[in-house]
Amino acid sequence: MSECLHQWAMTNVQFGFVVFEKCFHCNSLGTYFSAEDTPILGDKYREGDCYWSRVENAQTFRFDLQCRQCGREEKFGDLMGLLHCTGCLADCEVEAMQKKCEQDRTWILVAFGFIYKDKRQPLPPAKVDILTDYFNQRRDTSRSLIKIVSFDLIKDLSVCRGDFIHDVGMLSLEPPEERKHLF
Amino acid sequence: MTTKDLIDKLGLRALSTFDDRDVNGVFVSDMMSDVMAGAKSGNLWLTVQTHKSIVPAANLVDVAAIIITSGKQVPQETIDIASKYNIAVLASNLPTFELVGKLYALESFKK
Repeated sequence: MSECLHQWAMTNVQFGFVVFEKCFHCNSLGTYFSAEDTPILGDKYREGDCYWSRVENAQTFRFDLQCRQCGREEKFGDLMGLLHCTGCLADCEVEAMQKKCEQDRTWILVAFGFIYKDKRQPLPPAKVDILTDYFNQRRDTSRSLIKIVSFDLIKDLSVCRGDFIHDVGMLSLEPPEERKHLF
Repeated sequence: MTTKDLIDKLGLRALSTFDDRDVNGVFVSDMMSDVMAGAKSGNLWLTVQTHKSIVPAANLVDVAAIIITSGKQVPQETIDIASKYNIAVLASNLPTFELVGKLYALESFKK
Protein backbone atom coordinates (compact mmCIF):
# COMPACT_ATOMS: atom_id res chain seq x y z
CA MET A 1 0.00 0.00 0.00
CA SER A 2 1.37 3.38 -0.95
CA GLU A 3 2.50 5.57 1.93
CA CYS A 4 2.57 8.67 -0.19
CA LEU A 5 0.17 11.42 0.86
CA HIS A 6 -0.56 12.31 -2.71
CA GLN A 7 -0.35 15.92 -3.81
CA TRP A 8 -2.33 15.97 -7.01
CA ALA A 9 -1.89 18.19 -10.03
CA MET A 10 -3.77 18.25 -13.33
CA THR A 11 -2.01 16.78 -16.29
CA ASN A 12 -2.90 15.80 -19.88
CA VAL A 13 -5.40 18.64 -20.04
CA GLN A 14 -7.41 18.54 -23.26
CA PHE A 15 -10.11 21.07 -24.10
CA GLY A 16 -13.06 19.85 -26.13
CA PHE A 17 -16.79 19.26 -25.99
CA VAL A 18 -19.20 16.97 -24.24
CA VAL A 19 -21.92 15.98 -26.67
CA PHE A 20 -25.41 15.17 -25.38
CA GLU A 21 -27.55 13.17 -27.81
CA LYS A 22 -30.95 11.55 -27.72
CA CYS A 23 -32.49 8.67 -29.63
CA PHE A 24 -35.90 9.67 -30.94
CA HIS A 25 -36.81 6.00 -31.24
CA CYS A 26 -36.31 4.87 -27.63
CA ASN A 27 -35.80 8.33 -26.07
CA SER A 28 -32.57 7.24 -24.39
CA LEU A 29 -29.71 9.64 -23.73
CA GLY A 30 -26.07 9.30 -24.64
CA THR A 31 -23.05 11.46 -23.93
CA TYR A 32 -19.45 11.43 -25.05
CA PHE A 33 -16.37 13.63 -25.24
CA SER A 34 -15.32 15.05 -28.58
CA ALA A 35 -12.26 17.09 -29.40
CA GLU A 36 -14.21 18.49 -32.37
CA ASP A 37 -16.99 21.06 -32.33
CA THR A 38 -18.87 19.15 -35.01
CA PRO A 39 -19.11 15.47 -34.05
CA ILE A 40 -17.50 13.16 -36.55
CA LEU A 41 -20.69 11.14 -36.92
CA GLY A 42 -22.73 14.29 -37.55
CA ASP A 43 -25.78 15.75 -35.85
CA LYS A 44 -28.00 12.78 -36.70
CA TYR A 45 -27.02 9.18 -37.31
CA ARG A 46 -28.32 5.67 -36.93
CA GLU A 47 -26.74 3.05 -34.71
CA GLY A 48 -28.63 -0.24 -34.87
CA ASP A 49 -32.16 0.54 -33.70
CA CYS A 50 -31.14 3.92 -32.28
CA TYR A 51 -31.58 7.15 -34.21
CA TRP A 52 -29.36 9.66 -32.45
CA SER A 53 -29.77 13.44 -32.60
CA ARG A 54 -27.46 15.91 -30.96
CA VAL A 55 -29.24 17.84 -28.20
CA GLU A 56 -26.40 19.98 -26.89
CA ASN A 57 -22.70 20.61 -27.21
CA ALA A 58 -20.92 22.01 -24.22
CA GLN A 59 -17.37 23.27 -24.11
CA THR A 60 -15.42 21.51 -21.45
CA PHE A 61 -12.11 19.82 -20.86
CA ARG A 62 -10.78 16.55 -19.61
CA PHE A 63 -7.73 15.83 -17.56
CA ASP A 64 -5.81 13.30 -15.54
CA LEU A 65 -4.31 13.79 -12.11
CA GLN A 66 -0.71 13.07 -11.21
CA CYS A 67 0.90 13.07 -7.81
CA ARG A 68 3.70 15.63 -7.69
CA GLN A 69 5.56 13.52 -5.12
CA CYS A 70 5.44 9.92 -6.30
CA GLY A 71 4.37 10.40 -9.91
CA ARG A 72 1.31 8.16 -9.65
CA GLU A 73 -1.18 9.00 -12.36
CA GLU A 74 -4.95 8.60 -12.23
CA LYS A 75 -6.85 8.80 -15.50
CA PHE A 76 -10.10 10.75 -15.51
CA GLY A 77 -11.21 10.23 -19.09
CA ASP A 78 -14.38 8.70 -17.65
CA LEU A 79 -15.36 11.96 -15.93
CA MET A 80 -18.00 13.70 -18.03
CA GLY A 81 -18.31 16.76 -15.84
CA LEU A 82 -19.21 18.20 -12.47
CA LEU A 83 -22.75 19.25 -11.64
CA HIS A 84 -23.89 21.82 -9.14
CA CYS A 85 -27.08 20.77 -7.34
CA THR A 86 -29.75 23.45 -7.54
CA GLY A 87 -32.01 21.81 -4.96
CA CYS A 88 -34.76 21.08 -7.47
CA LEU A 89 -36.05 18.01 -5.61
CA ALA A 90 -36.45 18.02 -1.84
CA ASP A 91 -36.23 14.22 -1.57
CA CYS A 92 -33.10 13.84 -3.70
CA GLU A 93 -30.17 12.30 -1.84
CA VAL A 94 -27.80 14.91 -3.23
CA GLU A 95 -29.99 17.75 -2.01
CA ALA A 96 -30.27 16.12 1.44
CA MET A 97 -26.49 15.73 1.61
CA GLN A 98 -25.98 19.29 0.42
CA LYS A 99 -28.24 20.73 3.14
CA LYS A 100 -26.39 18.76 5.79
CA CYS A 101 -22.90 19.65 4.52
CA GLU A 102 -23.64 23.36 4.10
CA GLN A 103 -23.72 23.74 7.86
CA ASP A 104 -20.04 22.74 7.89
CA ARG A 105 -19.23 24.97 4.91
CA THR A 106 -18.75 21.93 2.72
CA TRP A 107 -20.01 22.33 -0.82
CA ILE A 108 -21.19 19.35 -2.82
CA LEU A 109 -20.54 18.76 -6.51
CA VAL A 110 -21.71 15.70 -8.42
CA ALA A 111 -19.26 13.80 -10.62
CA PHE A 112 -20.96 12.51 -13.73
CA GLY A 113 -19.63 9.64 -15.74
CA PHE A 114 -20.69 9.23 -19.33
CA ILE A 115 -24.08 7.83 -20.24
CA TYR A 116 -24.85 5.41 -23.04
CA LYS A 117 -28.42 4.43 -23.86
CA ASP A 118 -29.44 5.71 -20.45
CA LYS A 119 -26.92 3.40 -18.74
CA ARG A 120 -24.74 5.29 -16.33
CA GLN A 121 -21.00 4.70 -16.18
CA PRO A 122 -20.09 6.02 -12.75
CA LEU A 123 -16.60 6.72 -11.54
CA PRO A 124 -15.29 4.23 -8.97
CA PRO A 125 -15.58 5.56 -5.39
CA ALA A 126 -11.80 5.70 -5.01
CA LYS A 127 -11.51 8.06 -7.96
CA VAL A 128 -14.32 10.25 -6.65
CA ASP A 129 -12.34 10.51 -3.39
CA ILE A 130 -9.21 11.49 -5.31
CA LEU A 131 -11.16 14.27 -7.02
CA THR A 132 -12.32 15.51 -3.62
CA ASP A 133 -8.75 15.47 -2.34
CA TYR A 134 -7.48 17.29 -5.41
CA PHE A 135 -9.95 20.16 -5.23
CA ASN A 136 -9.43 20.53 -1.49
CA GLN A 137 -5.68 20.69 -2.05
CA ARG A 138 -6.32 23.64 -4.36
CA ARG A 139 -8.15 25.70 -1.76
CA ASP A 140 -7.87 27.31 1.63
CA THR A 141 -9.69 24.61 3.56
CA SER A 142 -9.92 26.76 6.68
CA ARG A 143 -12.67 28.68 4.86
CA SER A 144 -14.61 25.88 3.19
CA LEU A 145 -14.35 22.39 1.73
CA ILE A 146 -15.44 20.62 -1.42
CA LYS A 147 -17.03 17.19 -1.47
CA ILE A 148 -17.44 15.34 -4.75
CA VAL A 149 -20.12 12.66 -4.87
CA SER A 150 -21.14 10.23 -7.60
CA PHE A 151 -24.15 10.76 -9.83
CA ASP A 152 -25.38 7.36 -8.65
CA LEU A 153 -27.01 9.33 -5.84
CA ILE A 154 -29.42 10.92 -8.28
CA LYS A 155 -32.31 8.47 -8.59
CA ASP A 156 -33.95 9.84 -11.67
CA LEU A 157 -31.82 11.89 -14.03
CA SER A 158 -34.84 12.87 -16.12
CA VAL A 159 -36.03 15.19 -13.35
CA CYS A 160 -32.61 16.57 -12.39
CA ARG A 161 -32.31 20.32 -12.96
CA GLY A 162 -28.75 20.75 -11.73
CA ASP A 163 -26.25 22.91 -13.61
CA PHE A 164 -23.16 21.45 -15.16
CA ILE A 165 -20.01 23.50 -14.76
CA HIS A 166 -19.33 23.79 -18.46
CA ASP A 167 -19.90 26.35 -21.19
CA VAL A 168 -22.81 26.42 -23.60
CA GLY A 169 -23.72 28.89 -26.31
CA MET A 170 -20.29 30.45 -26.38
CA LEU A 171 -20.61 31.18 -30.09
CA SER A 172 -23.64 33.43 -29.58
CA LEU A 173 -23.20 37.20 -29.21
CA GLU A 174 -24.54 37.11 -25.69
CA PRO A 175 -23.96 34.19 -23.31
CA PRO A 176 -27.32 32.46 -22.69
CA GLU A 177 -29.08 33.27 -19.44
CA GLU A 178 -31.09 30.04 -19.42
CA ARG A 179 -29.89 26.57 -20.25
CA LYS A 180 -31.70 23.63 -21.80
CA HIS A 181 -32.68 20.75 -19.55
CA LEU A 182 -30.49 17.95 -20.81
CA PHE A 183 -32.12 14.84 -19.37
CA MET B 1 -4.52 43.60 -0.87
CA THR B 2 -8.01 42.41 -0.01
CA THR B 3 -11.25 42.27 -1.94
CA LYS B 4 -12.55 45.35 -0.13
CA ASP B 5 -9.35 47.27 -0.89
CA LEU B 6 -9.89 46.55 -4.57
CA ILE B 7 -13.50 47.69 -4.43
CA ASP B 8 -12.30 51.04 -3.06
CA LYS B 9 -9.36 51.45 -5.42
CA LEU B 10 -11.19 50.49 -8.60
CA GLY B 11 -14.70 51.75 -7.89
CA LEU B 12 -16.25 48.30 -8.19
CA ARG B 13 -19.83 47.59 -7.20
CA ALA B 14 -20.31 44.77 -4.70
CA LEU B 15 -23.39 42.78 -5.67
CA SER B 16 -23.20 39.85 -3.24
CA THR B 17 -22.39 39.54 0.44
CA PHE B 18 -19.00 37.98 0.98
CA ASP B 19 -16.08 37.28 3.28
CA ASP B 20 -13.26 39.73 2.73
CA ARG B 21 -10.02 37.99 1.84
CA ASP B 22 -6.58 38.52 0.36
CA VAL B 23 -6.28 38.58 -3.39
CA ASN B 24 -3.11 37.14 -4.89
CA GLY B 25 -3.54 37.35 -8.65
CA VAL B 26 -5.87 37.78 -11.57
CA PHE B 27 -7.37 35.24 -13.96
CA VAL B 28 -9.15 36.44 -17.07
CA SER B 29 -11.42 34.06 -18.94
CA ASP B 30 -14.98 33.64 -20.14
CA MET B 31 -14.71 29.86 -20.15
CA MET B 32 -15.51 27.88 -17.03
CA SER B 33 -13.36 25.00 -18.19
CA ASP B 34 -10.43 27.40 -18.42
CA VAL B 35 -11.06 28.61 -14.88
CA MET B 36 -11.31 25.09 -13.54
CA ALA B 37 -8.05 24.16 -15.20
CA GLY B 38 -6.03 27.29 -14.49
CA ALA B 39 -7.35 29.66 -11.83
CA LYS B 40 -5.70 29.58 -8.43
CA SER B 41 -7.05 29.92 -4.93
CA GLY B 42 -7.26 33.59 -4.04
CA ASN B 43 -7.31 34.86 -7.63
CA LEU B 44 -9.69 37.47 -8.96
CA TRP B 45 -11.69 36.10 -11.86
CA LEU B 46 -12.66 38.60 -14.56
CA THR B 47 -15.43 37.55 -16.92
CA VAL B 48 -18.48 38.69 -18.86
CA GLN B 49 -20.33 35.47 -18.05
CA THR B 50 -23.22 35.98 -15.65
CA HIS B 51 -24.96 32.58 -15.59
CA LYS B 52 -25.37 31.25 -12.07
CA SER B 53 -23.02 28.33 -12.76
CA ILE B 54 -20.06 30.74 -12.59
CA VAL B 55 -20.49 30.68 -8.81
CA PRO B 56 -19.91 26.94 -8.26
CA ALA B 57 -17.08 27.16 -10.78
CA ALA B 58 -15.51 29.99 -8.78
CA ASN B 59 -16.14 28.18 -5.54
CA LEU B 60 -14.62 24.95 -6.85
CA VAL B 61 -11.26 26.66 -7.42
CA ASP B 62 -11.62 29.04 -4.47
CA VAL B 63 -11.30 32.35 -6.29
CA ALA B 64 -11.40 35.39 -4.03
CA ALA B 65 -13.92 37.26 -6.16
CA ILE B 66 -15.62 37.32 -9.52
CA ILE B 67 -15.59 40.64 -11.35
CA ILE B 68 -18.23 40.96 -14.05
CA THR B 69 -16.92 43.46 -16.54
CA SER B 70 -18.31 45.59 -19.34
CA GLY B 71 -21.40 46.60 -17.41
CA LYS B 72 -23.07 43.23 -17.90
CA GLN B 73 -26.31 42.78 -16.00
CA VAL B 74 -25.99 40.06 -13.37
CA PRO B 75 -29.12 37.98 -12.67
CA GLN B 76 -30.37 38.02 -9.09
CA GLU B 77 -30.10 34.22 -9.03
CA THR B 78 -26.35 34.47 -9.57
CA ILE B 79 -26.03 37.06 -6.81
CA ASP B 80 -28.10 34.98 -4.38
CA ILE B 81 -25.99 31.86 -4.93
CA ALA B 82 -22.80 33.87 -4.55
CA SER B 83 -24.03 35.31 -1.25
CA LYS B 84 -24.84 31.82 -0.05
CA TYR B 85 -21.26 30.72 -0.84
CA ASN B 86 -19.81 33.99 0.57
CA ILE B 87 -18.15 34.67 -2.78
CA ALA B 88 -17.78 38.28 -3.86
CA VAL B 89 -19.49 39.08 -7.13
CA LEU B 90 -18.32 42.54 -8.11
CA ALA B 91 -19.25 44.60 -11.14
CA SER B 92 -17.49 47.12 -13.30
CA ASN B 93 -18.65 49.10 -16.31
CA LEU B 94 -15.12 49.00 -17.69
CA PRO B 95 -14.27 46.62 -20.50
CA THR B 96 -12.08 43.72 -19.41
CA PHE B 97 -9.04 45.17 -21.19
CA GLU B 98 -9.20 48.48 -19.30
CA LEU B 99 -9.87 46.83 -15.96
CA VAL B 100 -6.93 44.49 -16.44
CA GLY B 101 -4.78 47.52 -17.18
CA LYS B 102 -5.79 49.16 -13.93
CA LEU B 103 -5.22 45.93 -11.99
CA TYR B 104 -1.83 45.42 -13.57
CA ALA B 105 -0.83 48.93 -12.55
CA LEU B 106 -1.43 48.10 -8.91
CA GLU B 107 1.79 47.30 -7.12
CA SER B 108 0.36 44.11 -5.59
CA PHE B 109 0.01 42.40 -8.94
CA LYS B 110 3.34 43.34 -10.41
CA LYS B 111 5.73 40.40 -10.51
